[in-house]
Amino acid sequence: MAEREPAYTVASDSETTGEEKSSPLPEIAIGIDIGTSQCSVAVWNGSEVELLKNKRNQKLMKSFVTFKDEAPSGGVTSQFSHEHEMLFGDTIFNMKRLIGRVDTDPVVHASKNLPFLVQTLDIGVRPFIAALVNNVWRSTTPEEVLAMFLVELRLMTETHLKRPIRNVVLTVPVSFSRFQLTRLERACAMAGLHVLRLMPEPTAVALLYGQQQQKASQETMGSGSEKIALIFNMGAGYCDVAVTATAGGVSQIKALAGSTIGGEDLLQNMMRHLLPDSENIFKRHGVEEIKSMALLRVATQDAIHQLSTQSSVQVDVDLGNSLKICKVVDRAEFEEVNKEVFEKCESLIIQCLHDAKVEVGDINDNLVTNLCKITEVYKGINPLEGAVCGAAMEGAVASGISDPFGNLDLLTIQATPLAIGIRADGNKFVPVIPRNTTMPARKDLLFTTIHDNQTEALILVYEGEGKKAEENHLLGYFKIMGIPAAPKGVPEISVCMDIDAANVLRVLTGVVMPGSRITVVPVMEVRMPMVDDGHGWCAEALNRTHGATMDLVTLKKA
Amino acid sequence: MLSTSFPAPLSTATFAGKTISSPPFHAKSRRVLISATASTTEPSCTSLYEILGVAAVASDQEIKAAYRRLARVSHPDVAAVDRKVSSADEFMKIHAAYSTLLDPEKRASYDRSLFRQQQPLTVTGFSGYGCRKWETDQCW
Repeated sequence: MAEREPAYTVASDSETTGEEKSSPLPEIAIGIDIGTSQCSVAVWNGSEVELLKNKRNQKLMKSFVTFKDEAPSGGVTSQFSHEHEMLFGDTIFNMKRLIGRVDTDPVVHASKNLPFLVQTLDIGVRPFIAALVNNVWRSTTPEEVLAMFLVELRLMTETHLKRPIRNVVLTVPVSFSRFQLTRLERACAMAGLHVLRLMPEPTAVALLYGQQQQKASQETMGSGSEKIALIFNMGAGYCDVAVTATAGGVSQIKALAGSTIGGEDLLQNMMRHLLPDSENIFKRHGVEEIKSMALLRVATQDAIHQLSTQSSVQVDVDLGNSLKICKVVDRAEFEEVNKEVFEKCESLIIQCLHDAKVEVGDINDNLVTNLCKITEVYKGINPLEGAVCGAAMEGAVASGISDPFGNLDLLTIQATPLAIGIRADGNKFVPVIPRNTTMPARKDLLFTTIHDNQTEALILVYEGEGKKAEENHLLGYFKIMGIPAAPKGVPEISVCMDIDAANVLRVLTGVVMPGSRITVVPVMEVRMPMVDDGHGWCAEALNRTHGATMDLVTLKKA
Repeated sequence: MLSTSFPAPLSTATFAGKTISSPPFHAKSRRVLISATASTTEPSCTSLYEILGVAAVASDQEIKAAYRRLARVSHPDVAAVDRKVSSADEFMKIHAAYSTLLDPEKRASYDRSLFRQQQPLTVTGFSGYGCRKWETDQCW
């Protein structure tokens, strides 16, 4: 905690979508991998990707911001002498698990076991988050904490590169909704950074893999035949899987799958195993409870680490308040309490292979990053650095940099990780763009009215995989007006969705009457997401007020 | 690339002659042009094979290679700045051709339609939702 960066300059919290970027010289965007627990920055230095280090010579920095001193400081500039210090309630971490989630989300509820305060009222708004400083709960938000952290990263990078940094390519979990992505963009904007591209983590790895394959095939004058790779990544907060087809520097994302499961879940399941009533015991979040919680967390972490090399471990910890744990835990128990997590990983891989229409035998390489146990693994990529290196490369490619040696003749053809559609046919989610559709994409679907003389239709746009509308993330809603009076089922309401290569989503609607070919009302074009704060209850309120009066059904044409 | 001339008969899925210009902050970089035609009277320019520049007997490997080669010049991520506007449409067309021809069933039915009717073709089998036939931008 010796060095201190200058005071934080967090820009206003307003949306910064209205920016025009027009620099005469291409500025190379940096790549940032914000992990739930660790973070790294890399940049294309003109001939290769370089990982940047902080003043303590670390390439991987812990993702946290501590509020214990006058000015908050993050893991780029400060370091704890012991793991416990991060767990006194005055430090916020796991921001990536919390950003863009509402207080009804199970992931937010699981976060209540963290030493800082995560308070929920279970009504579908953002949770209350606070750090304990001098016996005061100081409120903050995941965006603010991330912004503080990103400012440190930016300053570190600017010092290193001796130029101002503006553009970034950020890696994101596959399972992030568009709403969560806007929260990340806002955090970046608050830190004075412009997001050039958000890349699902395994696709960043795919880009790096694509480059390595291309290099290899050039060197051996090989045919550059297509290689299928399975990329699996499990970090502290998220598990991501991708199947890619790579040849000639082009990585085509065949399928993506992801879920909010990770090391944090393994840890919490294990804590619950060691102290079954831990949630109730720590509920009060008093100073004493936080201390006990910290001791348990560190002891559990140590035990898990030891279990990766030995078959059993003795946990012996005094949590204070006459709470003592003295238990021998073996690997079988660890695997048993985390059975669901491992099963979920497996199902993600199976789903991804299925979506990609790939058999296990077709796979040329397994790329595994972070923790896992697959037998045959591709060795060409450092598991902890793959994503950030890929992001840096994408930063150079997307900034329009070309490399004389062809190292940047790369392309990743992305696919949509989640389906996007509208609510129709009662309360169903009807996808217009299914998941794993190649981007850019444009698709449309026809709907019609459910009442005679229905003149208005409500379009509720959702993203996700749930069958029922409310199981998905609401991205926005608007009303089509002026539908000509006609028997139900006659007006044709066309809903078109357009995603560009930068992943901007637009929804367009028009109304056509039989016999005509021209839309009878002006086309509505709506950029999504438009819901500002993950208000899941918007849909509920709309339903309460309007019922099914403006509902739609899919139009089935003979 | 504002559209002034449009094929007159537009399918029911069309927003007749609608030019979607992006919001101002993207205005310079992007403009989406949406039109659709399912009309057989409106000649479309090329067959799926011509789009990919492969022979009608091309193997899957040849189709994949052609797709990658075209993607490397037409994908919006790599297209020259002055072509960003049209490249998304161009790439979608290429991708639609690729995914139709790489699916044995879709390719067979496409080949039949090609053979039987000798009619101008539009991109089909694109969405998996049946017969929406998008024809985007002008022929290239």
